[in-house]
Amino acid sequence: MAGENKGTVRDLTVKDSFQLSKFLVKWEMMLVYILILINVILAVARPGLYFNIATIQSIIQSGLDLSPMVMGMVFILLLGDIDVSIASEMVLSGMVTGILCDKGMPVIVAVLAGILTGAVCGAFNGVLVGYVKMPAVIVTISTSMLFRGIVEIVLDVNSLKNFPAFYNAIGWKNIGILPICLILYAVITVIFYFILHRSTFGRQLYIVGNNPTTATYSGIRVERLKLIVFIIMGVMAGIGSIFFVGRMGGGLSSSMGTGYEMDVIAICVLGGVSTNGGKGKVYGPFIATFIMAFLLYTLGLVGVDANTRKIVTGIVLLIAVLIPNLNKQFLADIRGKFASK
Amino acid sequence: MKKIMGYRNIGLVFGLIGLMVLAAIITPSLFSFAALVSMLRNNAVYVFLAIGMMIVLVTGGIDLSVGSTLALSGVVCTSLMSTHMDVPAIVWVLLSLVIGIICGAFNGFVVGYLKVVPMIATLGTMYIYRGFAFLLSGGQWWFPHQISQPYQDWAAKSIVSVPAILWIAAIVFIAAAWFMGYRTSGRRIYAIGTNVESAQVAGIKEARVRFLAFVICGALAGLSGMLYTANYALCTYSIGDGYELQAIAICILGGVSITGGRGTVDGVLIGWLMMSFITQFISLLPGLSVWQHALQGVIIIVAVFINIAMTRSSEKRFLKERGALL
Repeated sequence: MAGENKGTVRDLTVKDSFQLSKFLVKWEMMLVYILILINVILAVARPGLYFNIATIQSIIQSGLDLSPMVMGMVFILLLGDIDVSIASEMVLSGMVTGILCDKGMPVIVAVLAGILTGAVCGAFNGVLVGYVKMPAVIVTISTSMLFRGIVEIVLDVNSLKNFPAFYNAIGWKNIGILPICLILYAVITVIFYFILHRSTFGRQLYIVGNNPTTATYSGIRVERLKLIVFIIMGVMAGIGSIFFVGRMGGGLSSSMGTGYEMDVIAICVLGGVSTNGGKGKVYGPFIATFIMAFLLYTLGLVGVDANTRKIVTGIVLLIAVLIPNLNKQFLADIRGKFASK
Repeated sequence: MKKIMGYRNIGLVFGLIGLMVLAAIITPSLFSFAALVSMLRNNAVYVFLAIGMMIVLVTGGIDLSVGSTLALSGVVCTSLMSTHMDVPAIVWVLLSLVIGIICGAFNGFVVGYLKVVPMIATLGTMYIYRGFAFLLSGGQWWFPHQISQPYQDWAAKSIVSVPAILWIAAIVFIAAAWFMGYRTSGRRIYAIGTNVESAQVAGIKEARVRFLAFVICGALAGLSGMLYTANYALCTYSIGDGYELQAIAICILGGVSITGGRGTVDGVLIGWLMMSFITQFISLLPGLSVWQHALQGVIIIVAVFINIAMTRSSEKRFLKERGALL
């Protein structure tokens, strides 16, 4: 971790001078190349469509409905945990907002209540994972059933249609040439960048992810940290419900958004966040979100249907996890050869 | 008596009995032979998935692709069968096993030899197999009249008034218990799950054992795909969606540890019976059917909580006996 220790008395990290060659082969730069490559393919294949600002805007809008949850998931994965209940959390908090709007509550109350619901769900996960020390996979699998079950109980087969007007704007409108969701996502990313890379809290996340025992002995309250991270995830799922419902045209039913948790995890892994914990940066997943958006949209343009696109998602996910692994083994093999000589 | 009380799944047995008593009081209609058999038959597909899942969980891995493998093998078998009606049905059983083994072998290769985290690897293959199932089916549905009688007989034919699928499930149970309990390869799976390093020192090849576990899991998932389509006489690309979570839930109810090394086939059997009773019980209660997912989620959380609490207290007692704790 060649990170920067901000404001410490003794700076122990060895700071390399900026090397262009190293910078160009970083994982995040690879992602940028892939993104450019997809864009070039798209531009060549459909020049009429591509050189049109509305197309680019709609590609970005189509891919960003899950974007807030990507950032929350980065934190969870950094801890070495996983959260597969986010899609259910998202639908549950969307439901709370929708019901309160139906009841005629002020918009601000309804939206905050929705986000608060997400936070409570996250806290529930966090207590079970952090304090009771149950495995995160199990907890979140069962809470995903539980949260979606609650939505099923409340909504049954009905759907909610009464959502604040700005939901639609987030999903579909632009300010100038920039889509609103892009601006919001950029803001969220900057906030998360500062939390993760410029604060003590962020450094603690890396320590816990790399070695929880060391973290405990160095005085980090691992349980509390996990609880906070899961609450952040819940809040992001609550905010995600705004993006999602807006994108869905202001409607919500109990079966919506299934499989979103997998898409979010796929984006994070593609963005270079290790599922073992302790490795990953904020801007990798940020770029990866756009890669997925452009990739899926391009495939859609070429005439590949939604279900077949799943194959591509899966292959992308597998390749993304394989490349660093193979690279590591390859380097180790080379070193082994030199050592034996 | 002491031997019975010392049985490691005794808590599960009591849980199951409690559930059955509750069910007997509230919904007595559940307890006729025909109702019980139909309940077990409806849940029989989970047996194969849960046993396969258990073997993978014992190695410390997880397989999220079983639902998709089920769909892929179901689609391939049904689509080929509907155009080649005269081929004996055993061919389709073998074909489903082969498809499952291929799917499982790919998972096992990626996890065992390429050292990818099982959760992510099988998440990827979950998408891929489901996508292939869609591609091969072309979004088509197959209905009972397109599915030949010998094919359906593999699940539905009643032998001694119990449908064939339950007999097959019983055979798989016994075979799995024998394999995991008495075969060297089975014991190696436990060894890898308990402590990878000491297993490696003892000369067990980690990659090979993981590969084997995924292949068995895949084979059982493939078989379950064929039996699913035979059982319900229905097939489309989206069958078995979310079954991987059900299988994991059954394993957890049956006391299989998600971190590896712990879990028995008889525990899975009890977990499966409990899950079958819970689902059937809830569906029989008026107005409760929408509660199904929420209740299942709560039950799993409670089961894991009890499981963890019991493990911790027994570990503490063990330490106390050795004088390590004051």
